[in-house]
Amino acid sequence: MPEVIIDGQQYEFEGQHKLLQFIQDLGKEVPFFCYHPSMSIPANCRQCMVKVGQYVKDRETGDYETDENGENVIRWFPKLQTACNIDVADGMVVHTQETDELVRRAQKDNLEFILINHPLDCPICDQAGECPLQIQTYKYGPEGSRFEVKKVHKPKRVQLGPRVVLDAERCINCTRCTRFTEEISKTHQLTITSRGDKNYPITAPGAEFDDPYSLNTVDLCPVGALTSADFRFKARVWEMNQTPSIDITNGKGSNIDLWTRDNIILRITPRFNADVNDHWIPDESREAYKLFNENRISRPQQKLEGEQILSSWNNAIATLTEQIEETDNSKILFIGSPHASVEENYSLGKFTNLLGLKQPVFTPHIEEGTGDGFLITDDQAPNTNGCRLLGFTELDGASLKKEVKKAELVVLLSDHLIDRALLSESDLADKFVIAFATNHSETTKAADLVIPITTAAEHAASYVNTDGRIQRTFRAKEIRYTNRRLDLEMSEGRLDRYGTNFDNWVTEDNKIDCLPLWSFISEAAKSSGLDLTLTEGREIMEEIAETLEPFKGVSYPVMDEQSGIQLSIKSKEKTKA
Amino acid sequence: MSTADWKNYEPVIIPDIKDLDKIDVYVKNGGYKALESILKDKKKWADPKSVINEVKEANIRGRGGAGFNAGLKWSFMPPADGGPRYLACNGDESEPGTFKDRKIFEYNPHIFIEGALIAAYAMEITTIYVYIRGEYKAYIDMMEKAIADAYEKGYIGKNILGSGYSVNFYVTYGAGAYICGEETSMLESLEGKRGYPRVKPPFPAQKGLWGRPTTINNIETLAHVPSVINRGAEWFKSVGAENHPGAFLYGISGHVNRPGVYELPSGVPVLELINDVAGGMRNGKKLKAVIPGGSSTPVLRADQLDGITMDSESLRTVGSMVGTAGMVIMDEDTDMVDVLWRIAHFYHHESCGQCTPCREGTGWLEKILLKIKNGEGEVKDLDLLLDLTTQMEGRTICALADAAAWPVRYTINRFRDEFEARCKKVIKASNKAISHQS
Repeated sequence: MPEVIIDGQQYEFEGQHKLLQFIQDLGKEVPFFCYHPSMSIPANCRQCMVKVGQYVKDRETGDYETDENGENVIRWFPKLQTACNIDVADGMVVHTQETDELVRRAQKDNLEFILINHPLDCPICDQAGECPLQIQTYKYGPEGSRFEVKKVHKPKRVQLGPRVVLDAERCINCTRCTRFTEEISKTHQLTITSRGDKNYPITAPGAEFDDPYSLNTVDLCPVGALTSADFRFKARVWEMNQTPSIDITNGKGSNIDLWTRDNIILRITPRFNADVNDHWIPDESREAYKLFNENRISRPQQKLEGEQILSSWNNAIATLTEQIEETDNSKILFIGSPHASVEENYSLGKFTNLLGLKQPVFTPHIEEGTGDGFLITDDQAPNTNGCRLLGFTELDGASLKKEVKKAELVVLLSDHLIDRALLSESDLADKFVIAFATNHSETTKAADLVIPITTAAEHAASYVNTDGRIQRTFRAKEIRYTNRRLDLEMSEGRLDRYGTNFDNWVTEDNKIDCLPLWSFISEAAKSSGLDLTLTEGREIMEEIAETLEPFKGVSYPVMDEQSGIQLSIKSKEKTKA
Repeated sequence: MSTADWKNYEPVIIPDIKDLDKIDVYVKNGGYKALESILKDKKKWADPKSVINEVKEANIRGRGGAGFNAGLKWSFMPPADGGPRYLACNGDESEPGTFKDRKIFEYNPHIFIEGALIAAYAMEITTIYVYIRGEYKAYIDMMEKAIADAYEKGYIGKNILGSGYSVNFYVTYGAGAYICGEETSMLESLEGKRGYPRVKPPFPAQKGLWGRPTTINNIETLAHVPSVINRGAEWFKSVGAENHPGAFLYGISGHVNRPGVYELPSGVPVLELINDVAGGMRNGKKLKAVIPGGSSTPVLRADQLDGITMDSESLRTVGSMVGTAGMVIMDEDTDMVDVLWRIAHFYHHESCGQCTPCREGTGWLEKILLKIKNGEGEVKDLDLLLDLTTQMEGRTICALADAAAWPVRYTINRFRDEFEARCKKVIKASNKAISHQS
């Protein structure tokens, strides 16, 4: 097998590799800025300089030539090479900064150059704390600067588009953002203007950077040149906890990270998953952070004389039990939701089973023509396939309306059917409506009893995307009844580790008074005398995997290890989604 | 003809013929004979390969500055596969001190057109672009006229001279960027993109214009081709210096009596070019320095020039290069600090900004030099400048960083006294203390 020698260590390889990626995959490091594994390689930052040579082969025998000491003869490239764009070859010898003074010097020189015109405003820069330039300068940069002349001045605080702000002075011209709009989002909205040390990325005159994926350039930017108009100055990176999660705004199930401080989700960034969203998410998926904080339903609410008033959990349980007991079984309709997780829908289904009611129904939330064939899907819900695989009856809008008409008690799971214009208020007027919901909406307004439940940021639960991939979320923020210090699965931030007591998440108001659906249902079942105990997502998924064929083999550990599991779904479902 | 009797050389590219830019005059004086020969004389030119071999044998070293054997470059083109292939003729000519291609556009455009057609035939290319710098508006118009005339006479277009070979010829022009003279950024510019040099490999012969095999040649290089075909490789090699044969278009500028473009064999002694060709130093001043081949080539002091001839071998012995043979002659009144600052200003202005060392380094060099020029520099700044040149050289995609670094390094090394004299006298700490007391 071909071999490459990196810093004196021999590595075997197969196939084609770029040296920089190969070194990274080995868990080693070479500093870089412009390279990105999902985009073309411009080799323009010149930071990943390494020394490269090749064992000399005897042309006739094909063996490596050796010198008098029996060492292989190496022919070095006359110049240092950028590791990002050079192919790994058999018999290649590489010295990185770990073993070569010349390489160390070259990388330091390059950082000195990058920094001469870069403002030293890390204390007020949003990128600080997650800035490749900052990190690599600490590691590989010069101790000080010999630059004693005037820096170049360029435009600052340029609103490139509705969501992205440019500080051109911070730009190091890596062209990641322009390559993103050329190669990934294909809107070609950004380009580099001007020449030499005066250049920076900008849109065409008068044009807006309103690319539906524009905020990915903020993540790509290796400095603080591009920042998010929404997030900038809201938090320092090290104040937030980063929790892996799944995008719930559409059917793609893009992998994301939730960034939380004091139980408020402050931003959403993409998390790499080669099988789903690569390194990207649409801008609208990021705006979904507000759903977790704003307009939340806290404490159960009940309608009395046409007005919703705050109620108590005991009253909510009692009302639910009472309504089910009082209503004829054939007149009770449970509606599941493609917006809710597999575990929540399963819990609802199990409850109806034990009550001897028919399975919940559901209506997919698909808006034809809104998808873009990339990461935005026609499907507006994250778990349509999950409902299908659970065996819920799939109804279109008209049949749902018919079913609702026949019912006297309607139990709704996080689906805003009135807002979706599937039902109207008058459809529900003469019925008792119980809504399990996370956020206020026209639909919850029409409900007689609203029971607040947890969002994807507050529970661990799974979602099956349009391609049939099941992936799960983690708890990112607390509810009234949890203590994150006791929850081993909740992420730890830098402040948790190094901060003082004052840095604890202390604002009680930021915790929503809600419960996971399964906890509430367990309580309700108990009061109905049913034997149903659902503790948490992990265990519910174990139960699902044991009892339902499509979910065979699914468990949280396997999902975590493989970043999701591909389930087999009918092709019809795939295309429909 | 050896270098010694350069005075007897008869110019081929810019001979003293009136109205040679008109196609009829050009044809009357033996023009397009070489093209006709390779297209029709199957005994002499069995196939396109034979043309490449002849040109390779002649060893026309690229006149754009790098000096690579043109025929050898042509032979790197992969075999024709039926898809498009391109010849891109580089007339961007923007290195300060260089103005030779302009002479061809102006006085003898057809010899270049003929050379390009021969090159295209040899490499089985059917599309030729000539990229001319935008500032040459008048010559762009002249080239367009010349090409239109050649189309009309049947030298360009479908079925040239009844041979069955067809080719198209287009004029395009730059928008004022030095970097677009770099061959791969010229391709980007031709494609309508921002002029950023490409990373090599892949080389243009594999993946050039629009991802297709492309050869890039300098205008003067191609203008030498017809005479190689007419008179043979042996004749071409007999002209001028052995390792760098053929004639040069010497572009002589600066403090001489008769600046201009002169077609003479390569390897003419530098001092003879100044004194005999260009009419000696202006106002009888003393020679101080010569930049031999465009602003990026290392400057030479007058005392280094004894016996030095204008070819790569000889210039290497004193640490310089022949480049484009665009010679800048400077007399004793020249301020080398000003000269170097002006050169550094040019490279700062023209760096495309793609690679870090060049983007940041060129600006830094200029700013320090400006400080020294204004008498505010210190001697340590000179050492910093030298340090920066090593930080820039060989660390970038194209050679602009090298071109910016060399003049700084060599001008400082060769005229250090002058630079130090311009620097601020650093007052020693003890002196300061004394001045405080008084």
